[in-house]
Amino acid sequence: MIVLHRLARLLVVLVVVTFLSFVLLNLLPGDPVTQILGLSATEESRARLRQELGLDQPLLVRYLDWLGGLAGGDFGTSYITRMPVGAELAERLPVTLELLVAAQIVALGLAVPVGVAAARRAGRALDQALTALSFALLSTPVFVLGVLLILLFAVTWRVVPATGWTSLSVDLGWNLTSVVLPAVTLGCGQFAVYARLLRTDLIATLQEDYITLARARGLSPRRILWRHALRPSAITLITAVGLNLGALIGGTVIIETLFGLPGVGRLIVDSIFSRDYLTVQGGVVLISVGYVVVNFAVDLVYAAVDPRIRRA
Amino acid sequence: MAGSGTAHLRPDDEVLLRVEDLVVEFPAGRGRTVRAVSGVSFDLARGETLGIVGESGCGKSSAARALVQLPPPRSGSVRLDGLELTALRGEALRRTRRRLQMIFQDPISSLNPRRRVRDIVGEGPRVWQLPGDRVDEVLEAVGLDPATAAERRPHEFSGGQCQRISIARALILDPEVVICDEPVSALDVSVQAQILGLLEDLKDRYRLTLVFIAHDLAVVKNVSDRILVMYLGKVCELAPSADLISRPAHPYTRALIASIPGGGGLDLPPADTLISGEPPSPVDPPSGCRFRTRCPRAAPRCATEEPHIRQVGDDHWLACHFPVKE
Amino acid sequence: MRRRLGFGVWLAAGWIGLVLLAALLADFLPFARYDETLAGPPQSGPSAAHPFGTDGLGRDVLSRVVYGARVSLGVGLGAVLLGLGVGAPLGILAGYRRRATDAVIMAVNDVAQAFPALVFALAVVAFAGANLRNVLIVLGVLGVPSWVRLIRGATLSFAEREFVLAARVLGTRDRRILWREILPNVAVPAASYAFIGMAVVVVAEGSLAFLGLSVQAPTPTWGGLINEGRTLMETAPHVVLAPSVVMFLTVLSFNLVGDRLRALTDVREIGLEPVRAPAALPLPTPTHPVRDTLLQVEELRTHFVTPRGVVKAVDGVSFTLDRGRTLAIVGESGSGKSMLIRSVLGLLPGTSIRGGHVYLSGDDLTAYGPAEMRPVLGRRLGTVFQDPMTALNPVRTIGTQVMEPLRVHLRMSRRQARAEAVELLASVGIPDPVRMLRRYPHQLSGGMRQRVTIAMALSCRPDVLFADEPTTALDVTIQAQVLRLLHRLRAERDMAVVLVSHDLSVVAQWADEVIVMYAGKVVERGPAAEVFARPRMPYTESLLQAAPRLTDPVHHRLRVIPGRPPDLAHLPAGCAFHARCPYARERCELEPPPLSEDHHHPYACWYPRPGTTAEQDVRTTGADSRGR
Ligand code: SF4
Ligand code: SF4
Repeated sequence: MIVLHRLARLLVVLVVVTFLSFVLLNLLPGDPVTQILGLSATEESRARLRQELGLDQPLLVRYLDWLGGLAGGDFGTSYITRMPVGAELAERLPVTLELLVAAQIVALGLAVPVGVAAARRAGRALDQALTALSFALLSTPVFVLGVLLILLFAVTWRVVPATGWTSLSVDLGWNLTSVVLPAVTLGCGQFAVYARLLRTDLIATLQEDYITLARARGLSPRRILWRHALRPSAITLITAVGLNLGALIGGTVIIETLFGLPGVGRLIVDSIFSRDYLTVQGGVVLISVGYVVVNFAVDLVYAAVDPRIRRA
Repeated sequence: MAGSGTAHLRPDDEVLLRVEDLVVEFPAGRGRTVRAVSGVSFDLARGETLGIVGESGCGKSSAARALVQLPPPRSGSVRLDGLELTALRGEALRRTRRRLQMIFQDPISSLNPRRRVRDIVGEGPRVWQLPGDRVDEVLEAVGLDPATAAERRPHEFSGGQCQRISIARALILDPEVVICDEPVSALDVSVQAQILGLLEDLKDRYRLTLVFIAHDLAVVKNVSDRILVMYLGKVCELAPSADLISRPAHPYTRALIASIPGGGGLDLPPADTLISGEPPSPVDPPSGCRFRTRCPRAAPRCATEEPHIRQVGDDHWLACHFPVKE
Repeated sequence: MRRRLGFGVWLAAGWIGLVLLAALLADFLPFARYDETLAGPPQSGPSAAHPFGTDGLGRDVLSRVVYGARVSLGVGLGAVLLGLGVGAPLGILAGYRRRATDAVIMAVNDVAQAFPALVFALAVVAFAGANLRNVLIVLGVLGVPSWVRLIRGATLSFAEREFVLAARVLGTRDRRILWREILPNVAVPAASYAFIGMAVVVVAEGSLAFLGLSVQAPTPTWGGLINEGRTLMETAPHVVLAPSVVMFLTVLSFNLVGDRLRALTDVREIGLEPVRAPAALPLPTPTHPVRDTLLQVEELRTHFVTPRGVVKAVDGVSFTLDRGRTLAIVGESGSGKSMLIRSVLGLLPGTSIRGGHVYLSGDDLTAYGPAEMRPVLGRRLGTVFQDPMTALNPVRTIGTQVMEPLRVHLRMSRRQARAEAVELLASVGIPDPVRMLRRYPHQLSGGMRQRVTIAMALSCRPDVLFADEPTTALDVTIQAQVLRLLHRLRAERDMAVVLVSHDLSVVAQWADEVIVMYAGKVVERGPAAEVFARPRMPYTESLLQAAPRLTDPVHHRLRVIPGRPPDLAHLPAGCAFHARCPYARERCELEPPPLSEDHHHPYACWYPRPGTTAEQDVRTTGADSRGR
């Protein structure tokens, strides 16, 4: 029931979003034909190519065509490279996903222990240090942080390569070294957000009667924090992680540019510049599916964490 | 208990407010419905105080809000001096608001934290464009010093003082009926006595008709001329206050009195022999008499047939198949 | 609610002001224009003439940073105003109107959020032209969904409050309710978010500029400056550092101000452990003979050091308690009765100071550290609180919670603990205890939850059970059941009970002894029946006469205690009750009355009541009618 409802929602969002982006892209000046043939091409050859690519059809027809193909799992063929868009995406997606997952591991792996420790002694040195650090990280744009980290780790100390990507399937070790710096760059800002959210919610939870009663039952602070307080305090954190994941599926372009990673964000940017509409459309599909799927996953996690949200 | 019927209503020309077959329901999610109030009727004569008492979930607050049409009841009639309020909408309904005011339970959250007392109390006259500035007079009437109180904001006052401000806000409109929804249950004993005394004074001074809702029978008895006992959205018993407390005939009223430490001076059997278990959910109320799941006198008839309100004494009404006769 | 903003915020606000001013007055400031190539060598470091040095083309970096601020702040301000202007009305409408309006607005909002921001921004900026206006519109529009969400949430939280209902009862029109009741309350979160939004937009603009998609050269932007400077990193680091630092400080300032504004409406921030060791001197802890009783409290004090002064929440309380007895502590809110319990248990917030002694079977608990207290708390002292709705952890099953003390303190195996938990739940009258183990608190009624908390408190067979208003949140018929249960358990387990309550009739019926508290002090103590029948201290007397009783005639005038309790931070000299006491004389204002020596029924008053005037009624039967 819930799943069906979700699926319907996914479809609606998908259709609306792809349609809007289809219209948006077509409204923009410039078209693939000029891009391919150059400005000097004759009107005749332009018309021929336009017909060949199906660009002479009305917008709605082209959209429905494309949608029909999508329903059958076909993302279409790029006007520019004449390659199937699906294959291109399939090649790029793992890079972005790996980056995202690695960044979340970095962010959460740091945020949870630090947030808990800060809440445990709210107002004291560690907490104040965390507050200062998180404000600093929050206020450092990701490209500034990235430049800084490259300078330190790649240029000065030469621990990891500055740019480039080695796929997981090629070599695990190289893959890890190429993902570590981007992931840390991306994860740092999120670590600050997460740690602050968790700290605030934990502090609120620690005022609850059931925590005082747990202390009155002689349980240790460690047990109270990890077993009693953490789970009820995690809702906002989960929401934030979900929103981030949803937003970042196509939003890692800065990192990808900075570190020269062949990810989805970079692909979309390049495709927009080359008027490669269908590739952009494919990216849009990925992003909106990702958004809805992450939302769905977040709801599932909510239910697992807080029984009050669970439906009987 | 848990009965319906209108036998106890007085003729229209004797009453100021007449509530008939009031039904309040709201959705509970997943297509289910909370049956908060199911066919409750009562009336008030001018200058009378009607107390409504019952435990949480009995529908007393939902009934109060339905009286002021916020939100309007699912069905039933609320007539103020012959005017059918449930038929009114929009501006026509708004025009009646002045005559029917309300005081809420939580003295803190019923005052806007960002406004000054003078604006809070003066809001009514401004909305109604009444001539003259009576804020000082009303503040004094509720026992606040206008000179020091009027320019301050709610958070500078104690709970009792906030409740006085709420009362002033309602009174300044010269309403005919004031509905008090648990006005003292958030207050300490000593402050509660102050507010109860104040309400009695104001009632005389401004010739108010009051509906006084509370869960504490002793508080209700203190201010009410008649008391209506509710259980799970239904009327159990209605009688003049002294009569209800000294001669409770409904099994639920008796259980309520017996549960109060001291038992009201009556020689009732211990409470645990008069009532058992917990109240059922108003989403799925029992058939027949709604009290039957906890009633020691329940018989098969109670499950199949809903008791109707009938007279058992001088202005003493109740809804039960097997009332206690003494 | 009003709190100080703190020094840092003023500093941040000052920095924002400075940057803003510089950006506005850039044309009049005494430095070269941003695109002017200077005579000196390019890439020269900071000097007096060029505080931030010059860049690769020999242009003044300070000038470029200041002119860059025009773009950053201009875009930020414009985008935030756009987001606010569109998002706030929609959010208020959605939150206040609900139903269809809300559903439509939120559905559109959802789609807007799912729409890839990047594609939108890139497409518009790349093709419509990378100028200030387009960047501003793009970032403004992208911010709208968050604004709608935020404002709707804030509106919803206030639209539910009773003061909005009250306004509608007054006959106020919707438009006026929105303007007068809701808007002022939504303004604070909106202002806070405006600052945080500024930070977000400034960063976003920087990112676009970094990708070469913001306002184009030669107009400098912060992001563009950083991107340019990147190539000179090794030879002239100041070129990249200057804009980076300025941008960082600006974003930091916006974040700080926004965060502090939000904190104005936030909860108090206290962790699990004390903020710092109390700075004030320890309170006097006079020595006393340790008696042969179960619980002996001697001169217990709990003070809080606050900005308003020292709040004396508990001020020299002593009592003893034996097994099988119930001691009631009565008083109104602020009398210190709940704080007294927390003080005995050592569960005080970090800002407090405790003095005096607490002996449990002769052991001084005040000498114990937190680690030593834990086994005592879990095993020998049990606790039940007022509100069963908040007393259980909402995300853990009843079984886990009831079994936990058994496993931690008694080291039972899972199976043993389970069996014991089932038995415990049955003993507090819970039907079908085996099934109950798997349920969550929100699935139970208030009465059932309170039974569960009692079961948990009793699990390790404590010597003393502390019950803080255990039935106040319950309905009267359920209250009777729970009190009867407590009474039965006390007898079965031969424990002592400390019952805190504001309800005199409850105390009269169930307690053996009673302590009356006022302003942190014991003002009267004695056998319950006697104190209620013959109160000596005027406050006790007034309290008894202020409470309505079923046996009073209808419209009976209750005794009114004028005024309100004193401020615990500024206690009056003399008797704390004197301002409200009808019998007060001069001496009462000057000298505090001590608790009289009478061991049986002491009281603190210079002019006590004769002790015969109180009505002889049901209350007097209290202590012996508890068989009910
Ligand atoms: S005797 Fe029957 S009708 Fe009367 S209250 Fe009990 S269950 Fe209801
Ligand atoms: S000491 Fe004086 S002021 Fe205090 S209670 Fe006794 S008579 Fe009243």
